[in-house]
Amino acid sequence: MKDYFYLQFKILNRKFIAFGLHPILAYLILFVCFLGFSNYIFFTMDFAIHLYILLAFRVLIKLIGKQKNDFLKFLLTKKNYILTKLIENFIGILPFVFFLTYKKLFLYIPIFIALAITSIFFNFNRGFNFTIPTPFYKKPFEFTIGFRNTFYIFPIVYYLLYISVSVKNFNLSVFSMLMIFLVVSSYYSKLENEYFIWNYKTSPEEFIHKKIKTGLTYTTLLSSPIFIVIGINFTAEFETLLIFWLLANAYLTTIILAKYAAYPFQTDLPQWVFIGISIAFPPLLIIQIPYFYFQSRKKLNTILE
Amino acid sequence: MITLKNITKSYGKKNVLKNMSASFKKGQVYGIIGENGSGKTTLFRCISGLENYSGKIESDFKILKNHIGLLMTEPYFFSKITGKEYIRLLNNARQKKLTTIETNNIFNLPLNKYASTYSTGMKKKLALTAILLQGNDCFILDEPFNGVDIQSNIIITEIIHKLKKLDKTVIIASHIYSTLVETCDEIHHLKNGNFAKKVSKKDFGLLEAEMKEITIGTNVKKLEID
Repeated sequence: MKDYFYLQFKILNRKFIAFGLHPILAYLILFVCFLGFSNYIFFTMDFAIHLYILLAFRVLIKLIGKQKNDFLKFLLTKKNYILTKLIENFIGILPFVFFLTYKKLFLYIPIFIALAITSIFFNFNRGFNFTIPTPFYKKPFEFTIGFRNTFYIFPIVYYLLYISVSVKNFNLSVFSMLMIFLVVSSYYSKLENEYFIWNYKTSPEEFIHKKIKTGLTYTTLLSSPIFIVIGINFTAEFETLLIFWLLANAYLTTIILAKYAAYPFQTDLPQWVFIGISIAFPPLLIIQIPYFYFQSRKKLNTILE
Repeated sequence: MITLKNITKSYGKKNVLKNMSASFKKGQVYGIIGENGSGKTTLFRCISGLENYSGKIESDFKILKNHIGLLMTEPYFFSKITGKEYIRLLNNARQKKLTTIETNNIFNLPLNKYASTYSTGMKKKLALTAILLQGNDCFILDEPFNGVDIQSNIIITEIIHKLKKLDKTVIIASHIYSTLVETCDEIHHLKNGNFAKKVSKKDFGLLEAEMKEITIGTNVKKLEID
């Protein structure tokens, strides 16, 4: 059991190093980001605790993997398996519990503990082995796979929208719309095998245009109902909403381009820092989008032509 | 027709392909044999444009890779993508519009199930179906018979015969010699990064005998089994 956690720790550190970060610095950044994000949502949202529970749930789902669980079951005794999973789940929810303690929201802590305990007995991969229908089946793969992995988030996003409209909270409604963009951006985190790019009978330019077109079209399909609802309910804030929507589309384009600019590797730290700076200073997008476009064209050229 | 002229490929200090030349004609089926690590897959990757190399590869096409159907030894599959979606993905990429996928499901695959849950043989059959539907002019099949059942082996053999009749260029790498004998017009023996031998149909038996002699030699006798 000790070896398992030691290995997990080593794997995580290796991931940070591969990303270009010293592990200590990475933990520090994660700590600051988590604290900043938690403070932000609890400061701006009335229903932050719902979102917090959802996030903890997401972390616990990430820790459930059929193959990993089967391997642990094979390796450990039943008692040790449960203990290992319990410790792992508690480590997963620990940051949330610490923040709730700091906020003196002790009443909610048992919900997180209950989630950590119950999820030991779930084996999600086995449960979701059936084919989840997707509206995006015609143009595989990002949205086809992404939707199947995150379909449960959309009702939550729409529920958040419903709450935001009923309590007249514009910030929360914009947040719900941005959540769609955040979820969709994660669809582009998966690198495809070179074989799938190689198969394209297009120039690098056409390939990039197709990817961006599909990404923006499908994201519009998912986000436009939210956009319309917010537009109708917060008419005075329409300009702000439009700016957020346009910027979110621009950042999605940047993320798609950054993926292929780094290909065959994952988008690395300097690129993420570059994107981060543009989030703080959006006019930078004017330089960033063409920069990533030319970089990705260069990278794709070696496979497509 | 695909012509290789003095193809050389190295990984660091290791020369995998050394000054290799060959030509593959339309309507012909070519077999490539060689030991593990002899460079078969590297050769296929070079022809397909997935690897840089020195030398020249010429063909009747402006961009050769757009006319090649490549079956990898171990086809890669995304998780949570069905067999049908995999076929659609590969055909969309080649701008081929598919009206019916089910009627072309010659291997009776469960196309509505996630491809990543398929067995090794089923994955290979799915990948083969996808590249066949792309309507390519050349086919590079790396170990097409590996892991598939006897019935499917028979179907694949028939498909290769059909591709020949359709005037396609087919290059196959296989460790199952009998399947090559049944399908190929020529067999090339890849050794030490180059084609050591090229034999036509009438000499397939001789090549097999020669290989047996070289490979087995006294090796089995040396093995101490009680």
